[in-house]
Amino acid sequence: MESFVVRYRNLLVLLALLVAQILGLAMQVRRANTGQGDGQEVRLIRLWANGIVSPPEKALHNTGSGISWIWNNYFYLRHVREQNADLQKTIDRLRLEQAALLEDAKQGQRLQALLNFQQKYIYKTVTAEVIGTSGTEQSRVFTINKGKKDGIDRDMAVITPDGIVGKVRDVFGHTAQVLAINDQSSGAGVIMESTRIRGVLRGNAQGRPEIVDVISDQRIRPGDSVLTAGGDQIFPRGLPVGVVDKVVNDPERDGFVDVVLKPAAHLDQLDEVLVITATEPQFSQEQQQDIATSETLKGAEAEKQKTSEGMAEKLPGLIDPKLPPDQQPLNDTSNPGFPSRPTAPLHPDRFTPANTAPAAPPAQDLQSSPKTTGKPPDHSRPAPAPQGDKQ
Amino acid sequence: MSVLSADARRDYEIHRYPVLIYALVPVLAVVLQAWLPRLLHRYAAFDLPLVVTVFFGLSRRNPIQGSILGGILGIFEDALTGHPIGINGIAKTLVGYLAATVGILVNVENHAVRLIMTFVLSLVGSATYFFVVRFLLGMSVDTNWMAELYKAIGNSVIALVLFPILDRAKIRD
Repeated sequence: MESFVVRYRNLLVLLALLVAQILGLAMQVRRANTGQGDGQEVRLIRLWANGIVSPPEKALHNTGSGISWIWNNYFYLRHVREQNADLQKTIDRLRLEQAALLEDAKQGQRLQALLNFQQKYIYKTVTAEVIGTSGTEQSRVFTINKGKKDGIDRDMAVITPDGIVGKVRDVFGHTAQVLAINDQSSGAGVIMESTRIRGVLRGNAQGRPEIVDVISDQRIRPGDSVLTAGGDQIFPRGLPVGVVDKVVNDPERDGFVDVVLKPAAHLDQLDEVLVITATEPQFSQEQQQDIATSETLKGAEAEKQKTSEGMAEKLPGLIDPKLPPDQQPLNDTSNPGFPSRPTAPLHPDRFTPANTAPAAPPAQDLQSSPKTTGKPPDHSRPAPAPQGDKQ
Repeated sequence: MSVLSADARRDYEIHRYPVLIYALVPVLAVVLQAWLPRLLHRYAAFDLPLVVTVFFGLSRRNPIQGSILGGILGIFEDALTGHPIGINGIAKTLVGYLAATVGILVNVENHAVRLIMTFVLSLVGSATYFFVVRFLLGMSVDTNWMAELYKAIGNSVIALVLFPILDRAKIRD
């Protein structure tokens, strides 16, 4: 027996290592199937790996950033002064616009609260830099340089100004792992902008995001925009996801299609991302000052409007706000000061308003004039038929 | 021409390195494997932990050490992905074992042999990876063999440059 072990010890060690890892895999898959996350041991291994890999990664990243910073800030400063002045102007303009938009947002939220409608807004984001990848093409996971100490938490949405990127998968002290939307284990609720068809976004085996299990629909066409639906409790509603690239039949289910997307964010070339850390209103002091300024301005405008209304009350007008529409001074025919409206003629002729001939002989005018009848003009009746016509 | 037994060849040609090399090179391989694809994007067709596993397997000629080193590096790689831990671990355990086993049988000082060994073992590693993912875990995976071929070529080129550099750190009796 001993000689057998000695003779085949290399093979036995190999088998032991393989069996141990296969058992470990089986346990992890079982946990995943029951909806549980990583076990304590697996999480510990991930923590150690991250603890070993992240510091050198950060050092490499910082070194590269430092060299780039030195170049950009000390050697490459052409036209910076002009750009700075332009940017300052843009900031001033945007601050004013932002104050107005914040006002609208607040008002919208108040109205939605009244309607008991829950809508998530992006109010606070943390900018993070991508410092590393998973190292394999089969896994679309990357590491960012912000972690728990920066307010990052699990399942927070990660976006860029172009579109959504993924969600935070694991958080460590100073770093976090992000699962991109094109990973096979990712998931996000999305909606097609034009057709309003909803679906679940996942990554496929080629690393492309696709909406799965969609009932075949002729209206789905390449180029259609896809947005987040907001029902997954991770991504706020209405963020761009991408555009439809192609529609392919689901190989496993008849009548269903998979909609392959071209992502809006450049998932292969990410440098900086935004982590949405709050979807509740948290205005900064500066924003609150802007809102206060806006409200003061609004108050002054309201005061001005009130004064003008007071002045209007003191002056005679054609419309009395206290009277119903049928008793308005404008419709009162008893008041001689106001001309009554001409009624529609029974027999319209060339003297009827809007039917008058451009020029008429004076004799006819005299004959048809109301003065010839010796009666005052009566605007409430239709004008008599002109005599000249009968002659 | 004298014919050496496997044990005799091992006794004569086992390479030894400073502890720092054993500690730093695998860590550096994992770090660079995670960092370089961010800069090189789709051109990052290499697997540095596999190259290091092959190098130490061929140099040390100890299947147990090769298996353990490959297993640890693979598990570290898995820990950085969102996938279950052990997929790369199994693949690189096998690669480490095979590298060390073959290292006993052939002359690994020859650059051509090293090149071919790295190329073949890269493909073996990829095949094992896909086998585990598809048949043991039942996950769908894009089996792009052209990409794996490019990766094997990339690994061989890196091995051609890296192995002589690491050979310089060898402890000579």
